[in-house]
Amino acid sequence: MNLLHSSGVVMPTDPKQTPYLLGGKCSNCGTVVFPKMPVCPKCRRNGTVEDIEIGRKGRLFSHTIARFAPKGFKAPFFQIFVDLPEGPRIFSLVGAECPVEDGVLEDGMEMRLVVESLADTPENKDTLTYKYVPAAKSGKPRHA
Amino acid sequence: MREVAIIGVGAHPTGQFTDKSLKDLGYTAIWGALKDAGVTPEDIDVAYVGNSLGGLLTGQEGVRGQVVLQHSGITGIPVINVENACASAATALRGAWLEVASGAADVAIAVGVEKMYVGDTARTIGALSSVSELDLSQMGMQFTTSYAIHPKINLKGKMKEYGWTSADFAKPAVKNSYNGSLNPLAQHRRALTIEQVVQSRIVVDPLTLYMCASISDGAAAAVVCAADMASKFTSKTPIRIASCVLRSGEYRLPNDKRLDSATVSAQAAYEEAGIGPEDLGAIELHDAMAPAELMLYERLGLCGPGEGPKLIDDGTTTLRGRLPVNPSGGLCSRGHPVGATGLLQIAELVWQMRGEAGPRQIEKRPKVTMAQNQGGLLLGQDSAVYGVTILKS
Ligand SMILES: [Zn+2]
Repeated sequence: MNLLHSSGVVMPTDPKQTPYLLGGKCSNCGTVVFPKMPVCPKCRRNGTVEDIEIGRKGRLFSHTIARFAPKGFKAPFFQIFVDLPEGPRIFSLVGAECPVEDGVLEDGMEMRLVVESLADTPENKDTLTYKYVPAAKSGKPRHA
Repeated sequence: MREVAIIGVGAHPTGQFTDKSLKDLGYTAIWGALKDAGVTPEDIDVAYVGNSLGGLLTGQEGVRGQVVLQHSGITGIPVINVENACASAATALRGAWLEVASGAADVAIAVGVEKMYVGDTARTIGALSSVSELDLSQMGMQFTTSYAIHPKINLKGKMKEYGWTSADFAKPAVKNSYNGSLNPLAQHRRALTIEQVVQSRIVVDPLTLYMCASISDGAAAAVVCAADMASKFTSKTPIRIASCVLRSGEYRLPNDKRLDSATVSAQAAYEEAGIGPEDLGAIELHDAMAPAELMLYERLGLCGPGEGPKLIDDGTTTLRGRLPVNPSGGLCSRGHPVGATGLLQIAELVWQMRGEAGPRQIEKRPKVTMAQNQGGLLLGQDSAVYGVTILKS
């Protein structure tokens, strides 16, 4: 197994610790970015961005089901943007435990981080990455 | 800065041209532009050649501009290769414009050329994904997805925010498919109905197949010169470049209060040209996904938030309307050979301004027009490139 964006997602060796994303927080203006970068994109200071653990949970900003997949992925699959409480809004995918059906996800819902294979395909099954699933245990459709 | 005029344009039709190479596609566009301008290869002082995917798709990783130009008899001059995703051609035009405006050159050519049909669609789609920042494309980000849910446009979100429907999303596709049906250079020449667009298969919810530009081969070129020299080469109406704006995207955080980059780049172009949206007589804009046209209406200052569909309903942006948008058929019908698109837009506007657009000619020949071209996707929640050019006759 190898990690996609190995600098971005951290798998603690202690099994009691949950995985997280390695973001950057600017000590000058407080801006949090993911992935990390050396210059703060807001105040443009160089060298003020420090490591911060982020992304264990988030709130779904937007989502769609892609009916066609690029090479190395399997359609249909969810593609999402997640707002992290620490600040960044990131692009991600949805964990395999969540069925790919209309109505399963709703913008604004609480999500939690999981680390799993990028895709169940020969190209990507051995590559780990960060994905999100509904934080509520069941993840069942909520019929409005 | 000197005033710069476009004196000639040329284009290769868009579509699938299995037997043609980048060189062949480029040759048709380049010689079309040279003849139209009344210049010879010896007159060209400098060339900018836009191409995005040729390295990955054809294997010609380096010096594609020199390769294409040599095939057309243009050698021994400065050649600048331009890669700027789907806005490569707008970027090439800016280079040519700047060379002449600055006085460094008297005559320059801008070329955009793309070869996307290589017998393996998955490879082409993969190459297209690679014009997004690698961190995104490796996670499966596609251009379709970016239009559907990306914060910079979020068409799915607009359905909730503005009450736009799938039928609203289909309107620009329908309008532009009619325009494309009149364009002999267009890739898709079938006029579509709302039902056909809505009912075509879903690619990425809420986008259906006919709302998305398809892959395409194509090329376009423009010859520019110092405006006061134009009559030396041609008796045709010179088309002046009133502004040629290029900007990279911003790193945007969720609470970003700044105007979006499409708005900012359009405002800069209006200001530099000394005009406003009310002065425009035609627009070619970047509708890689047809519904994006609705968002661009408001970002280019044509209407208020959410009012985009009205401009089609009341006929304003149709071919016979007050401000025709995408008279060529736009990216979805005319075609989107990515590195050529920006100059295909320019060629269309020049033809319209000269009254040479044939059956799709805008009745009241436009005197002021705009081309809006964008491309690429960055981690900072924005497109990578925004190009806006305003032309005056
Ligand atoms: Zn800062």
